[in-house]
Amino acid sequence: MKSPARAAERGTGAARGGSERAGSRSSGGTRRERTAAAANPLLTVALPAWRSKLLLFTLFVAFVALGGRAFYLMGGVSTQFLQRQGEARYARTLEIPATRGRVTDRNGVVLASSVPARAVWAIPEDVETNAAQLAQLAKLLDLNVADLRRRLAEDKSFVYLRRQVDVEVAERIAALKIAGIHSSREFKRHYPEGPTSAHVVGFTNVEDRGQEGIELAYESQLAGRSGSRRVIKDRLGRIVDDVWLREPGDGRDLALSIDSRVQYIAFSALKAAVDKHNAKAGAALVLDVHTGEVLALANWPTFDPNLRGRLSGDAIRNRVITDTFEPGSTMKPFAVAAAMDLGKVRPDTRIQTAPGRMTIGDRTIGDAHPHGVLTVEEVVAKSSNIGTAKIALELPAQALWDSYTAFGFGQAPRLGFPGAVAGRLRPAKSWRPIEQATISYGHGVSVTLMQLARAYSVLARDGEMVPLTLTRVDAPPPAVRVLSPETARAMRRMLEMAVAEGGTAPAARIAGYRVAGKTGTARKIRNGQYVREYVSSFVGFAPVSDPRVVIAVMIDEPSSDLYYGGLVAAPAFAQIAAASLRTLQVAPDGPLEEPKSLLALRQPASAAPLLQAVPPQ
Amino acid sequence: MIRRGLMVVVALLLFASALGLVTAQHRTRSLFVDLERAQQEARQLDVDYERLTIDQARLAQPAAVERAAVKLGFRAVEPGHTVYLNLPEASAAAPLAPGARK
Repeated sequence: MKSPARAAERGTGAARGGSERAGSRSSGGTRRERTAAAANPLLTVALPAWRSKLLLFTLFVAFVALGGRAFYLMGGVSTQFLQRQGEARYARTLEIPATRGRVTDRNGVVLASSVPARAVWAIPEDVETNAAQLAQLAKLLDLNVADLRRRLAEDKSFVYLRRQVDVEVAERIAALKIAGIHSSREFKRHYPEGPTSAHVVGFTNVEDRGQEGIELAYESQLAGRSGSRRVIKDRLGRIVDDVWLREPGDGRDLALSIDSRVQYIAFSALKAAVDKHNAKAGAALVLDVHTGEVLALANWPTFDPNLRGRLSGDAIRNRVITDTFEPGSTMKPFAVAAAMDLGKVRPDTRIQTAPGRMTIGDRTIGDAHPHGVLTVEEVVAKSSNIGTAKIALELPAQALWDSYTAFGFGQAPRLGFPGAVAGRLRPAKSWRPIEQATISYGHGVSVTLMQLARAYSVLARDGEMVPLTLTRVDAPPPAVRVLSPETARAMRRMLEMAVAEGGTAPAARIAGYRVAGKTGTARKIRNGQYVREYVSSFVGFAPVSDPRVVIAVMIDEPSSDLYYGGLVAAPAFAQIAAASLRTLQVAPDGPLEEPKSLLALRQPASAAPLLQAVPPQ
Repeated sequence: MIRRGLMVVVALLLFASALGLVTAQHRTRSLFVDLERAQQEARQLDVDYERLTIDQARLAQPAAVERAAVKLGFRAVEPGHTVYLNLPEASAAAPLAPGARK
C-alpha cells in the first residue's frame, strides 16, 4: 500500500505539466530533480485520496468475507459436507457376512455346510502380466493358459476368472501380485455325503441361495442376514474404534429326519438293483412308522451337488416326490382294507376268481394265472386282479374314493418340499364300473412313491396316519385314524402272507425279522397307450410284530427279462430292510436262520401268480 | 504470590492430565486393535472348525467306511451269526432294543 507520504514525494517530482500544483503542495526538491522527473509524464499525476481509501475498504471487506466463510465452514452452520469428507478418509462401513446354516442328519452328521471362499476376478485392461505369471495363475485357477488369455482379452471392464476358489488358493494368487487381478469374499457350500443324499438336501447356487430340495424349501431358515459395522481406521489400516454395529444374523442349522447310515443303505441297494436289472431309474424310501419321519430317500440316477457344473435336469429330479406312476398291485390292499372296514368282507370271505377272466362292460380283465376260489386273504397274498376288482365293486364308488383320499391318494403330502405332486385320482362321480375295478388294482390311478409309503404306514401303525416330515421331530405328531385297528392288523397278516412261500414276493424275506409287503408291476403309458415298459415296485414294512419302518422301492423300466416287482424290487427291499433294522437296533422277531429256500424262490420259475396289467382294448 | 504458585500447580496438573488423556486414548486404540485381531482369529478358527467338520463327515461317510471294511475283510452283522441276550424282566417281547430310538 502506498503511503500518502510517498505519494506526496512523487508529487514532488512531478514534471513540468503539473509543476504549479505539485510545487504548491511541496516545495522540496532541487531543480535538477524536477528536470529528471519531468521526463516521465505519468509520475506527475496526482492520485485522488478516495482511491486509497477504497482499496483499504475492499481489503477489509475481503478479510471479513474470509472470516465469515471460515465461520460458515467451521462454526456449525454448514459442517455436514466437510465432516462427511473427513470421515470418508478414516471411517469405513464393513459388511459382516452371515454364514448359511448347516444341514445335518438326525444324528448331527453334516450333510451341507458353508465355508468362506473367494471369487477371483479381473479388470482386463489393468492386467499386466508375463507368460510365466500367467502360467502360474492358470495352474492355480485350474484353467488352461489359452482359455485364461482369451478371458483376459475380453472387451469388458470386469470378468470373473473363477468363483468359489479356496481361500488358500486365492491367497497364493494374491501373492503373485499381478496387477488387475482381484478377489472378493463369498461362500462355498460343501456336501460331504455327495450323491448319496443329493436329492433330499438339494443344492445352492453360486450366490449361496437354495435352488433345490431342502436348501430351497428351508431357504428362509438357512439363509443368514448379513450385518454391517462402521469403524475407524488408522493410517495403517488397523481398526481402532467402532462407531456402530448391526449384528449379522447367521442362518439357523437344520436337522433332517434322514439317518445318513440308512440313507446309504437305501442308496446302495437301489443302485445295485438298478444296475442289475439295467433299469432306467429307481427310487427308494424308508419311513419311521412311529413318527412319520423320512429316514432315507434315495434316487437313481443321482448327481454330485459338489460339482456344480454337472447339474443336469434329469438326474436332479426327486422321483420319490415328483414322479407319479401307475402303482399296479401295490394299490390292492387299500380297496380290500376299505371293504373290510365297511364290513363288506372278512379275511376269510371266499371269492370266486375262476376262470381268471372277467368282463365288465365292454372290457375284460384277467389274472396271470387262474386261481379258483380264494379267501380275501389269499386274494391279497396271491395278488388276484379279479378278486380285488370283485371286492372293490362291492363298495359304492364314493365310499372307495373317500377311503383312497383318507389314505392320502390324490393329495400332495404336506412336506414343505418343492415339487411335491398329488398324483391323479379322478372323482368318484366320473368312475365307470370298469374304472372302479382297475383302480382297485392300481391302474387308471397315479401315485408317487411317497404317497404309497405313507398309505402303507397306516397299515403298519394300526390304522392311524401321521404326517410325513423331512425334518427331525422330537414329539410324536398327532395321528388321524383312517382304519380300525382290527382291519390294519388283518391287513398286516395278509401282507405277511404275500411274502411267504406261495405268495408273490418271497424274495422280500430276510433272516431274523418278519416282513410284510406287496409287489407291484405296472405297464407304463406312453401317448395314451400301454407299452411294454414296466415299473416294478415293492412296498412293505418290518418287523411285522411291531412295525418300525416302511420301505418302498420303485424300479423304472427294468430292461432285463425280469420285470416283476417280486423279482426286481423285492430283493432291494430285503436288502434295505435287513441292513436298516440292524442299524436301527431293532430286536429280531423272526427265525434267525436265512430261509433255506430263499435262493430257489428267487428263481423266476417259482415266482408263482403275479399280476399282469391288461391293456385297454 | 500464593495465587501464582497455585496457577503453576494447576497448569502442571492440566498438562499432566492432557498427556494422560493422550496416553489413555492411545492405549484404548492399541487394545482395540488387539481385540480386533483376536476376534479375527476367533472367526478364522470357526472357519477352520467348519472345514474340519466337513472333512470329518466326508471321511466318515458310510460309503468310505464300507470301502475300508471291505478292504479289511469285515463282514456285516447278520441275525444268523449274532447272539441275542434278553434282559430278564425287559422281556424278549419288547419290540425295540434299548437305545434303538433316540
